[in-house]
Amino acid sequence: MIRVQPEPWATMVAHAQATYPNECCGVMLGSIDDDNKVVEVAINLENAYSGPQNEHYEVRPEDLLMADREARKLGMDVIGIFHSHPDCDAYFSKTDLENSCPWYSFIVLSIQKGTFHHANSWLPNEERTHAAQEPLEY
Amino acid sequence: MAKILIPTPLRQFAEKNNSVDVAAATVGEALASLTTQFPDLRKNLFNDEGKLRSFVNVYVNDEDIRYLQKDATAVGDGDTISIVPSIAGGRC
Repeated sequence: MIRVQPEPWATMVAHAQATYPNECCGVMLGSIDDDNKVVEVAINLENAYSGPQNEHYEVRPEDLLMADREARKLGMDVIGIFHSHPDCDAYFSKTDLENSCPWYSFIVLSIQKGTFHHANSWLPNEERTHAAQEPLEY
Repeated sequence: MAKILIPTPLRQFAEKNNSVDVAAATVGEALASLTTQFPDLRKNLFNDEGKLRSFVNVYVNDEDIRYLQKDATAVGDGDTISIVPSIAGGRC
């Protein structure tokens, strides 16, 4: 299960709404105790995709490296990645799956007509052929 | 010694270390040393052909080794090696 504290959740939703109709992305930092993850900090990242950003996102590895350094400085862990689906549900698409990493949780925020609608968290398997839904609290 | 930073989800395969110091002259040697010390890390970082998995990037300090000398990139005392995944996606 993954629980996002109010402050990072507000950051994530605001970023997703501000970037609408494009997809947003960012990194979640926090703590992990067995399978219980708590997101304490959300870092908004620039969508680095060079094509149409209303249907794709890309995280710059350099930005993820900076986020990992920030997590270590704060004594936290990198827990996962968030991104938005403008005017789509918060499913984990084939593109999401094939370009994911089996190491992290992936929270997808559905933004409908510019406003947050719902969210889901996903855990890709090792082969990145399937993603299991992870209980999400926010 | 170079220092390899272990991403959070992989620490379970490295006796919970968040970093591991290795004696190595190149990135290739450093990762070989790491996966010899912690064999369970191997399948997380490398494919069956022994190449880095498609989504795994390796940095020496702030530089992606693909733009240096790849596996042959020299490392030494004080260098930090980071393992950073590629992540992207899209609603369609």
